[in-house]
Amino acid sequence: MTDNSSHDSGDNAGGRAADDAATDGGVAATAAQAHNDTDYLGAEVNILNPSTPYMRDHLRIVWTGFAIWVLAVWGPVTLTRLAPGPMTIQMPILGFPLHYFLVAFGAPTSALILAFWYSRRRDALDEKYGIDHANVTKSESGTGVAATDGGADE
Amino acid sequence: MTRSSLLLQSDLLPEALDISFKLVPAILVLSMLGLFLTIGFVFRVADTDNMWVAGRSIGNLENGMAIGANWMSAASYLGMAASIALAGFYGLVFVVGWTTGYFILLIFLAAQLRRFGKYTAPDFVGDRFNSDSARAIAAVTTFLIGFVYAIGQAKGMALVSLYIFGDYGGLIPGLDGYQVMVVFMMTITVGYLTLSGMMGATKNQAVQYTILIVAFVAGLYAVGWTQGYSTVLPQLEYGALISQLGSEFSEPFASSSYYLWVATTFSLIVGTCGLPHVLVRFYTVESERTARWSTVWGLFFICILYWSAPAFAAFGTDLYSQNVGPTYGDPGMASAASEVIVVLAAQLAELPQWFVGLVAAGGIAAAIATVAGLFIAGSSAISHDIYTNIINEDATQRQQILVGRLSIVALGALTTLAALNPASSIAALVGYAFSLAGSVLFPMFFLGMWWENANRQGALAGMTTGLTLWSIPMINQIVPTYIGSLEAPLSAGLAQWMPAIGSALITLPIVFVVTIVVSMATDEPSLETKRIVRQCHSPEPMGQQETAEDVVADGGEDVATDGGRAVDDAAAEGDRADGDAAAEDR
Repeated sequence: MTDNSSHDSGDNAGGRAADDAATDGGVAATAAQAHNDTDYLGAEVNILNPSTPYMRDHLRIVWTGFAIWVLAVWGPVTLTRLAPGPMTIQMPILGFPLHYFLVAFGAPTSALILAFWYSRRRDALDEKYGIDHANVTKSESGTGVAATDGGADE
Repeated sequence: MTRSSLLLQSDLLPEALDISFKLVPAILVLSMLGLFLTIGFVFRVADTDNMWVAGRSIGNLENGMAIGANWMSAASYLGMAASIALAGFYGLVFVVGWTTGYFILLIFLAAQLRRFGKYTAPDFVGDRFNSDSARAIAAVTTFLIGFVYAIGQAKGMALVSLYIFGDYGGLIPGLDGYQVMVVFMMTITVGYLTLSGMMGATKNQAVQYTILIVAFVAGLYAVGWTQGYSTVLPQLEYGALISQLGSEFSEPFASSSYYLWVATTFSLIVGTCGLPHVLVRFYTVESERTARWSTVWGLFFICILYWSAPAFAAFGTDLYSQNVGPTYGDPGMASAASEVIVVLAAQLAELPQWFVGLVAAGGIAAAIATVAGLFIAGSSAISHDIYTNIINEDATQRQQILVGRLSIVALGALTTLAALNPASSIAALVGYAFSLAGSVLFPMFFLGMWWENANRQGALAGMTTGLTLWSIPMINQIVPTYIGSLEAPLSAGLAQWMPAIGSALITLPIVFVVTIVVSMATDEPSLETKRIVRQCHSPEPMGQQETAEDVVADGGEDVATDGGRAVDDAAAEGDRADGDAAAEDR
């Protein structure tokens, strides 16, 4: 399954160009092509400066989720601090004080929904880049055992 | 010393709780413990791979349950409802901090850690930063976390066992009923752990999760139904009750400031992402995709209890006020009574004794499951990271397992001693461990995973800073409670701005800055290390037993296909990498 095609020019330039194509076209085949062209072991890892198309797409999901998460976790309590009156009114039907509900029920539930959303998006991203986890896990596990033993002994 | 300890002891027997030997609940708990031991025995381990990471064979749902059981300790089962009942709105920090942190873990660390594929948290730190010193600091931190965290568990188990087994004060000379139970329950836990190891622990955790969640939710429904509080969804129906509970229950910032609220949640969240016994769960799954989805499942299983806990607290508070005395004001509900409010609510609702026993047994299952995860992580830190990697590199598997078991016994003894006169509530005791994980380990995981230039010097400086800063509020607030002549806190101002339970809000940014600045001021890590980090982020699937290091080191095809590029990189960083490799040669 290792399929990094070799190229002689600098990988950064190549990666960028492929990425542009991917985001412009948005066609799965293009993304998969970019994936095939990317040498992941040669691309720098820096959360503030993603260097591969995949990482850039991934981090876009990560940061979007993170921003919503920050609002869900600390938004209600901050609003309660700023405007205690409106935030502590009793909710219709449920009877909760609003701030209490948003914190006790809203925050955990938001995290759960966000986690589900992220995992779905991440699977979709893998699909877009033509990555299949199921086959590789099964087919390579046999050979992997030897490798682990080698690693563990050192 | 004697006066204060006497005072503490009488404080530790929860008022209103029916403390006596009860036959059916006792049989229930003992057969539950027997079941754990049997499962542990059936899945007992003889080799280290199974001992630590369960052979990397655990699937989605099972790992989700294990995440849940591992996670939900006496602090979730008992301590959280206690804090919500006593501290009101501030008590909700635990509900928020201990659930939402999983999302951060998921998006930043879960799959990457699985790809890294090493045994333990200190393994990651040691291998990522090429340093045995870093590994040792991480191992000591892991051990310390297990110790601090488990104190709360021992307290919870002992309090609940009082309901089931009764008061045997004096059975062990000098110890009161609560303390006898601490010794008894910790002995059982340690015995079970030394026999079973991680495989037994993981198999058990699915069972333990089932027991604890059924006991908790059934308890909630039964209390709500029989007392007329709720019908089908007590998790939402308790809202209508809040206005009758007294303003202390829900009024924002009544017992604590906005700052303390934010600091505590922050600390609990980053602690979640740095706790070794949580992180090791991602090493046990079969693939990185399983790592992601089992996090979602795990969070769902956790939420079931966390949605229910505030409802339980509300019902318990109301029942206490009706049957025992006012919950708030003077004297109010004592802290020992609040710690068992979940059991107390079931008892005050006059549910049958076997049923109250079941609720209590759930608390014990929760505590044992978490202590299992903690002690396995702590003992593997000692036997795998310090003993095998640093002290005796030729250690046989037999020696490793022996050292592992000895360190479990040592952890158990330390925890028992500290739990005899615990310094704080269950939830707070556990919170201190979160501050530590968030101050020391989370920054290393985050920067180590997401910034390839983070290096050994940066990690050493960062972890040392984190440990030092974490210990300051601990010395200020906690240590004095164990020393008779001192009064906590030593400095009230420090306790206000750097509270022990929320200290990561201060320490984490400092540790980040220290690590980054020192890393930038010193040489970059070797190319091999960088390639391992890159492999952790590559979307390319990996084999079940593969680690990032394997792929980078003996992936012959990889090197070949890299072709010119690898040479380019090597040329650019060649000198430095060679220098590092020589210096870091282990």
